[in-house]
Amino acid sequence: MALPRLILVTGKGGTGKSTVAAALAMALARRRPTTLGDLDGRGSVGRLIDARAKEHSAIEVITITPRGELEAFIDRIVPLRAVSRRMLQSRTFGYVTAALPGLEAFLMLERLRLIAGKAALEDRFAVIDAPATGHALELLAVAKGIRKLAPSGTLHRLSSAVEEFLIDRNRCGVMLTLTLEELALRESLEAAAALRELGIECIGAIVNMVPPALFTAAEIAQLRPLEAHARLAERRRELSEFAERAREELERAGIAVTELPMLFEAALGAEEVQALSRRFESELLDTPAPEAESTNR
Amino acid sequence: MKRAAMLGLGELADHRLVICLGPGGVGKTTLSAALALNAAVGGRAVDVMTVDPAPRLLDALGLSAGNSATQMVSLAGLGAHRGARLRALKLDAKMTFDALIERHAPSAVARDAILGNRIYRNLSTALAGVADYMAMEKLIELHDDSTTGLIVLDTPPAREAIDFLDAPRRMLELLDSRAVSLLGVGRSASRGRWSMLDLAARAVLAAFDRLTGLHLLSDVQAFVRSFDGMYAGFADRAAQAQALIRDRQTLVVLVTTAEAERVDQAGEFIDALSAMGIRLGAVAVNRMMAPLPRASTIAKADLPAALKHKLKRNLDDFGALKRRETAALAQLRERVPSGTRLIAAPELGREPRTLDDLVEIARNLIAH
Repeated sequence: MALPRLILVTGKGGTGKSTVAAALAMALARRRPTTLGDLDGRGSVGRLIDARAKEHSAIEVITITPRGELEAFIDRIVPLRAVSRRMLQSRTFGYVTAALPGLEAFLMLERLRLIAGKAALEDRFAVIDAPATGHALELLAVAKGIRKLAPSGTLHRLSSAVEEFLIDRNRCGVMLTLTLEELALRESLEAAAALRELGIECIGAIVNMVPPALFTAAEIAQLRPLEAHARLAERRRELSEFAERAREELERAGIAVTELPMLFEAALGAEEVQALSRRFESELLDTPAPEAESTNR
Repeated sequence: MKRAAMLGLGELADHRLVICLGPGGVGKTTLSAALALNAAVGGRAVDVMTVDPAPRLLDALGLSAGNSATQMVSLAGLGAHRGARLRALKLDAKMTFDALIERHAPSAVARDAILGNRIYRNLSTALAGVADYMAMEKLIELHDDSTTGLIVLDTPPAREAIDFLDAPRRMLELLDSRAVSLLGVGRSASRGRWSMLDLAARAVLAAFDRLTGLHLLSDVQAFVRSFDGMYAGFADRAAQAQALIRDRQTLVVLVTTAEAERVDQAGEFIDALSAMGIRLGAVAVNRMMAPLPRASTIAKADLPAALKHKLKRNLDDFGALKRRETAALAQLRERVPSGTRLIAAPELGREPRTLDDLVEIARNLIAH
């Protein structure tokens, strides 16, 4: 697959977005310096990276918060720092910005645009651990709303630039995560359709936690006397079958599928994320990175 | 482990409201629906309010897209007791907010001014927190209905742990006198009450408006001004909501799964609730793995060696997942305040699609 400079990882809650984002960043970092960021301000995705592993020197971990972006924006439009600080401290200002619909969300998108621009100049990648599908789609749709609200001025100009960025498949794309559940599959298909509507590139779907197949139907039939074991074997076979069906449905909808294995480990840490990143590598290594851009966007 | 009567009919009989909250993706909606259905089958008049239900669950509850926001769920074939009733409601934040404005607006002119205001039109749909506040508002409305015996509330997916429970306070702050007087009062009036900071803020806001091209300041002023005379009504409702959350007949249930990341998030909820002085009634751990079969039975079985080997490997694999779960559960137990019960909802083994599935989930709840 051809990868854009900035990849947003989103999916239903509990499908392993952060783990997938961290593993992807690790795989990319073996080829290019990579930025790994989250939008929840908790920095949880960064904790999945083991600082000791040597390739991590190529990973820069950042966290993007609505408040931080608002502050940066005010600093940009109010050149006097003393004034901008005072403004941010005013409760009244807080109320008004809260009443400006989507402003903070929009400013986070603007930050993503800047990160992607920097990545293109420095020949890097950026992977963003985005919120769950519903919130992520709301976030991606906010630029249109802002453009309608602001008929002219700074925000109007920025919103056009952000919209261009979102639909530029060299700079921006979304990767969906799902697990072997009907609900997660439906949500991925719906999200892919919503992205198409927005004109945003869906790079592919990561089917996460797929157990390697172990039993054939004939074998399970032999297990009847061992009822509890038979149930466990059947559960595993159902998951493998579901993985196949998920792949078919996703591919029929035009979505590229990558499977990540279920790691049967008692603890999930940096080592396991590393193992997953190797799986990504085998799919991504043969792809040339997009050309470094000479123009400053 | 024993059956948990507490979330079954026995203990819920003393409650009028169950609030389910927790991180995203743990099955809050399913568990809320299961608890509500089980109580209804037991003979109570139950309302369940869901916010963002999955399509299949909607189907099970008869709330498919296109249906009205309130639906009577048929309990036929479930062996429901006399007096059983289950009403499922889908929250429409915009409609609830509009109704709130209609009720509290001092005049038709004031009402139309608000409903037509650009800020309001965006605020009521886009602003985070408004949906939370509206869920709370709808809750009070349901609670005032004396024909309802029990309300089960599935809270919106929260960005911050306690957004939902904190919504009434934040809404009040937004409408509180300082912001209102600053924006709503004319230039000449009561200048003496404004601090330098406020004056600076006002000047800077005007600059912000001009620079951003939003031209929103006059709309914000009009919006805030139009809330004149409504503040008391809002404050009253917010106070009612605060009291309702803390009522003895209210049971706050934190829903989570036994996964490390979710346990961390659950811990944040626990801290936030405690900081707000809200009593946590129970922690429900959803989708717990079933106990694993014994390895010894494999050796004794009359099966080909290769198949025995596979069975052993399968057991080892799931055993690792079980150990992961046990470790997460131990971590959760450390965070749960003493006196708060821990309840496990075993994995159904399939995705819940029917009312029977929901009843099964509720009846399988066990104290842990």
